[in-house]
Amino acid sequence: MTHRRLRILFRSKTTLAGAALVALVALTAVGADWIATHDPELRQAEFRAPPSAAHWLGTDENGFDVFSRLVHGARASLLAALAAVLFALLLGVPLGLVAGWYGGWIDSALMRCVDILLAFPSVLLAMAIAVGLGGGSLGTVILAVGVVLVPVFVRQVRAAVLQVKTHEYVIAARALGAPDLRILLKTVLPNCAGPILVLATLSTGIAILDAAGLSFLGLGPPATAPEWGVMLTKGVRYLKQREQWLLLPPGLAIAITVLGFNLLGDGLRDAFDPRQR
Amino acid sequence: MTYALRRILVTIPLLLAVSLVVFALVDALPGDPAVRRFDLHANPEAVKAWRAEHGLDDPFLVRWGRYVGGVVTRFDFGKSYAHSHPVGEDLGRRLQATLELTLCALLLAVVVGLGVGILSAAYPRSLFDYAGNLLALGGISLPVFWLGLLLWILCTDLLGFPYRSGRAEAPGMATGLYLFESLFRGHVSLFLEQLRRIFLPALALSTIPMAVITRMTRAAMLDEIGKDYAVTARAKGLRRRRVILKHVLRNALIPITTITGLQFGTLLGGAVLTETIFSWPGLGSYIVEEGVLANDTPVLVGGILLVATTFILVNLAVDLLYSRIDPRMRRA
Repeated sequence: MTHRRLRILFRSKTTLAGAALVALVALTAVGADWIATHDPELRQAEFRAPPSAAHWLGTDENGFDVFSRLVHGARASLLAALAAVLFALLLGVPLGLVAGWYGGWIDSALMRCVDILLAFPSVLLAMAIAVGLGGGSLGTVILAVGVVLVPVFVRQVRAAVLQVKTHEYVIAARALGAPDLRILLKTVLPNCAGPILVLATLSTGIAILDAAGLSFLGLGPPATAPEWGVMLTKGVRYLKQREQWLLLPPGLAIAITVLGFNLLGDGLRDAFDPRQR
Repeated sequence: MTYALRRILVTIPLLLAVSLVVFALVDALPGDPAVRRFDLHANPEAVKAWRAEHGLDDPFLVRWGRYVGGVVTRFDFGKSYAHSHPVGEDLGRRLQATLELTLCALLLAVVVGLGVGILSAAYPRSLFDYAGNLLALGGISLPVFWLGLLLWILCTDLLGFPYRSGRAEAPGMATGLYLFESLFRGHVSLFLEQLRRIFLPALALSTIPMAVITRMTRAAMLDEIGKDYAVTARAKGLRRRRVILKHVLRNALIPITTITGLQFGTLLGGAVLTETIFSWPGLGSYIVEEGVLANDTPVLVGGILLVATTFILVNLAVDLLYSRIDPRMRRA
């Protein structure tokens, strides 16, 4: 990223706020062991106790400390979302490059597959995949959410390649007889980096929401795992008792994190594509 | 071949491929459905008979072909493993409940989204614009099911408005779209009862599309306001309000229509979660409660397939509509 882009990026206060939120969650995830006041999976004396000096956000129905679970949840939720996006990048970027660069039958075949995957509402497809995989672990969630993101990445990268392909420097590289792989990796890919970065940032927010949705449907990690979606699901179960300390913190944590990624993603888009202001 | 005909023909292989994907995914469910249905000590003869009755011993493609044939010719989605009830009958009823909910949410999203978007673009960088932006950002950052629960608590505890979940009983209605039909027929009490039940789930479900439509409207309007024809219209003395509503909005509507059509997928997906929370008897709660939780394969396949099919058909309708609005599309 050039100097100019960095300046545009951080000139906007909302982008800065987004970056700060993401940094806050990332730091919490990294330092969870130091920040947490209790072991997130160790029974305390009280069950479903309201917030107190000993338990800042109270305890849940297993007697686990909610604050510590929230802090450790940052790690699980962020890791799951990033892993899903990484999966989508590793699969979607090469496929998008190939489809956009070579065109022809390989492009048609890939785009038909993309059409099929995009014919499902995304939450529904993630659910179907999680069901097919048997559910019940963070790995299932990562794979289900990741697969759903792949067609979006393929389509976006393909569109970017089609645009870059017509630029003179690419034509020049071709005329010089550089091998395809070299042009793709050294010339085309770096010039598609902007849209890919924007999509990856915005997708991380979507991945967190989708993962929470899967947990809510009981297709996520086991019920004792310190993960935001799981915590939210349990908070819902005690809705009737109005035990808000079980319902509010995980939902707020998800909302703040997703908001952070959305703000950052919007800022990145502005920095990379000045027309989109 | 005309654009419309080509577009319709392309949909058929897409639907077949989608059904194959759904069938394969649910077929990949770990474990034998027969073993899941019976316990480990079941009589092996009974298990064998059950498998034969449901045609589970045939190869995958044969079962898929038979299933698709049944659906296309007789709207037969098989029988539920759990209670032997034909899945097709449940699907028809529940699809109408889901459509009612999603249409209400879409209506809410379009009305609020267009209104806020137009005002934001008319007064950029005003307090209203910033507030609208913030709300739109919040709308795409909240888990739908969490927001639904917060709204529920807010209504019952703080506003003292006793919310009732589920749908009202409506005997004598010809369609499953009770809200619209009761209004059309002038059944005011039924309409109000239904409105009061649908309002919260529809509001919760509408947040993401509402936010997306708001942002799109604002961006598209700002894009058009700066163009020459808008400046000319102002310069020749037309009132600003008239230029914005008559000239600019018409052109901005093209991208707004596209994005609104795309939101239907978000709505159908979001319905899966929203319906479960508000006990709305639609396809979403059917898939989750009777499909996923009860591990009922025919319910899962039928439910997911019908939602995906609805989504594809809506996209087709939007595309066809779009080609009428904007003739340039037909050549693309």
